[in-house]
Amino acid sequence: MAGSTTGSTTGSMTGSMTGLVRAEFLKLTSTRLWLGLLVGAVLLTALSAGFSAGFAGMDSGFGGTSPGLDTVEALRNVYGSSAFGGSYLFAAILGITAMTGEYRYQTITPTFLATPRRSPVVAAKFLANAVMGVLFGLAGALAALVTGAIVISIRGYGLGLDEPRVWSGLGLALLAVALWAMIGVGVGTLVRNQIAAIIGLILIVYLLEQLLVFGLIALDLDAVARLLPSMASSAMVQATTPITTLLSWWQGALVMLGYAGVFTGLGTALSVRRDVS
Amino acid sequence: MAHGTGLPIEISGLTKRFGEVTAVDDLSFVVQPGEVTGFLGPNGAGKTTTLRCLLGLVAPSAGSATIGGRPYAELSQPLQTVGSVLESSSFHPGRSALRHLEVLALAAGIPRSRAADVLGLVGLAEFGERRVGGYSLGMRQRLGLAAALLGDPGVLILDEPSNGLDPAGIAWLRGFLRTLAAEGRTVLVSSHVLTEVQQTVDRVVVLARGRLIREGTLAELEAGPSVVDVSTPSPDALAAALHGEGLDVETRASAVRVTGATAAEVGHLAFVAGIELHALTDRAEDLEKVFLQLTTDEGSVA
Repeated sequence: MAGSTTGSTTGSMTGSMTGLVRAEFLKLTSTRLWLGLLVGAVLLTALSAGFSAGFAGMDSGFGGTSPGLDTVEALRNVYGSSAFGGSYLFAAILGITAMTGEYRYQTITPTFLATPRRSPVVAAKFLANAVMGVLFGLAGALAALVTGAIVISIRGYGLGLDEPRVWSGLGLALLAVALWAMIGVGVGTLVRNQIAAIIGLILIVYLLEQLLVFGLIALDLDAVARLLPSMASSAMVQATTPITTLLSWWQGALVMLGYAGVFTGLGTALSVRRDVS
Repeated sequence: MAHGTGLPIEISGLTKRFGEVTAVDDLSFVVQPGEVTGFLGPNGAGKTTTLRCLLGLVAPSAGSATIGGRPYAELSQPLQTVGSVLESSSFHPGRSALRHLEVLALAAGIPRSRAADVLGLVGLAEFGERRVGGYSLGMRQRLGLAAALLGDPGVLILDEPSNGLDPAGIAWLRGFLRTLAAEGRTVLVSSHVLTEVQQTVDRVVVLARGRLIREGTLAELEAGPSVVDVSTPSPDALAAALHGEGLDVETRASAVRVTGATAAEVGHLAFVAGIELHALTDRAEDLEKVFLQLTTDEGSVA
């Protein structure tokens, strides 16, 4: 009755990282949250690319004019920067829920029963969400390309799709979104409460970090300001900012990978080892 | 290791403290394959904590809990060795039952097709694509059991599995557990209601306030002193006669309660002494009462 003859399990697959990553990916795609966040990312990206293309070359509000649509820099902003700016927080929130959702719905119990050694579970979440981040970045890139191209055509400029730096900008946007998804996993691993983790991240990114950047720059500590997560991602997708100089794109990527790794490592050491009861 | 092979569970000197509270206190017992063992005790006795220690979810403060001689975390194929259903309903409400099981199968290296098989085993085949949020409590219990059976394990650990099941479901579960034990598997079932598992279990381990109170077969637990209630117009004379035989007697108006003799023995003694009896009732201690007595008055039996 219980099927003692159906034990056709194979030892080689057990506990394999491939299996764990596939399990984590299935967790992400088998509830509706990711789809809702993806729709949000696409809409915000489309809006952002539309505005970016619509106002390029006009008064930026910082006392100068932004680059016109006849420059590669403006095109990179319309496509790459918008794809990143509209998607990364949604990907980060999905990353946060990878761990916090397990505690919220107590699925952490079956998860750790299937994989009692806990660090590989976190590592699998890290990788699965990186893949998801790339998908979010791709969707964002598509949204930015479509709306950006429409607005650029309306304004009568060339689309610039034959320009390699446009495509490298989009590629960096994908990478940066994936890195934010991994940072999200780290934040969620460290802060097990879902609401606290999400609100905390949004407050830090939109408020605290901005204040810190201006404060540090005012104190001539630009070198420190450059290492903050949003400045590091600006280095990847924006290349210039009116207020200070940025890291190079690969330095920015390494700094972000560092944040993701440190948060996840700390979370694994401090939080994940605790009793599940 | 062949799948479906029962392994012994060994709890040895297990202690778990949460701050000042000692939830499990120097607990030791062994559960053998091929039997259904009831893990009994009132709520808060430490049953769930013991099981969570055994499953590597909670770290013991002292002692050990092993399956086939190894801690759960060191099993090379945990889900293929041990299946468990824990008290909390651990499902994402927005995920379907099939996806829930497939996630576990992928993580544990079990073929994905097994998910549909075990749903069929617990009678949920047609509800596999439905989100668990729409499941009744009984359906969730069945899904929990399906997850436990996913790896065709030789050891099954169930924490309060009857919660939320209707009478038909409980009867079904009873037969199911008997079958699993008959196949040589190790089955450990916890409950705070003895009568719930009375017809299912071969052996019992009784826990109260984190400590082991009694361990043995059901028959051993049942064997308490027999009690007889007697109604008589001359209670004092009867009490005197029974005292003479060294029996424990309690007199209340026209009623006498005798401990340590059967109804037949008391009737015979009254007849010999020429005492009139109006009623003679054998109060076979019901098991639930023994259980209650054991778990509320731990000191006298431990």
